[in-house]
Amino acid sequence: MTISIGDKIPSVELYVLTDDGPVAISTDDIFAGKKVAVFGLPGAFTRTCSAKHLPGFVNNADALKAKGVDAIVCLAVNDAFVMGAWSKAQDVGDSVMMVADGSARLAKAAGLDIDMSAKGFGLRSRRFSMVVDDGEVKSLNIDEPGTFEHTSAEVMLSEL
Amino acid sequence: MTISIGDKIPSADLNILTDDGPGGISTDEIFSGKKVAIFGLPGAFTPTCSAQHLPGFVNNADALKAKGIDTIVCLAVNDPFVMGAWGKDQNVGDKVMMVADGSANFTKATGLELDLTEKGLGVRCQRFSMVVDDGEVKSLNIDEAGAVEKTSAEAMLGEL
Repeated sequence: MTISIGDKIPSVELYVLTDDGPVAISTDDIFAGKKVAVFGLPGAFTRTCSAKHLPGFVNNADALKAKGVDAIVCLAVNDAFVMGAWSKAQDVGDSVMMVADGSARLAKAAGLDIDMSAKGFGLRSRRFSMVVDDGEVKSLNIDEPGTFEHTSAEVMLSEL
Repeated sequence: MTISIGDKIPSADLNILTDDGPGGISTDEIFSGKKVAIFGLPGAFTPTCSAQHLPGFVNNADALKAKGIDTIVCLAVNDPFVMGAWGKDQNVGDKVMMVADGSANFTKATGLELDLTEKGLGVRCQRFSMVVDDGEVKSLNIDEAGAVEKTSAEAMLGEL
């Protein structure tokens, strides 16, 4: 079942790439005591994501933080190495935390998984955005496959 | 069960990144009537692969072709966007065909899967190399996790 407004983010282990390699990070580490803008997408280096979704959050990072967001998280069912390489390719710097859900733990626990096996992508995450305050979902938007409308940084800014 | 010397490569649908986006390619298209050097690895952009395995085949592409190889294939359980981005990052050009087994179709059918779910990478493929002649496996090497020894381009050259 898909996560809803008012739900708590499920506890799962995720990964980030550091200078020393991939390091585990829990959802509690990410969300506890903070207001977090999180957006998810079907894959690093894919076209809609590369061309619009991630850069939108990078470019609006300061504006989101001015509205009370403490951290911005980009999440995909890719491993930490791929998320790190994509971050570098997109000049993300430290504006957005690139979080790897390579085993689809959060995508499945939040009911945001989408089976793209027929297209050769395996199980991925739907394109979504959420504002999460101290682990509680405050807003949730999901885009249909192949579209990019409700989950942009610009839409999130207008809702904050 | 893991594929063996003398076995036929199973029929599976794979993907490559073209100028027009991801394109499907079957194992029959890749292997039929050709002598193919194929190597597989746990993931694009991972340190061992980036630092040794793929560049070894890029650098030895001409030497392998001089020994009768028609096509060199790099395969991983990543999607075609990631494989394309990695090929570009590593300046692969047209020396090595970067083939995406994003749904692990080939990997599971050949019994070469490696469950890295605990490490946040999901199901991947073992590090392997094969020489395949007209779809029949002529040689097969598999490396233990964390090593590039038996599956290098240099080892393959030594066996041809």
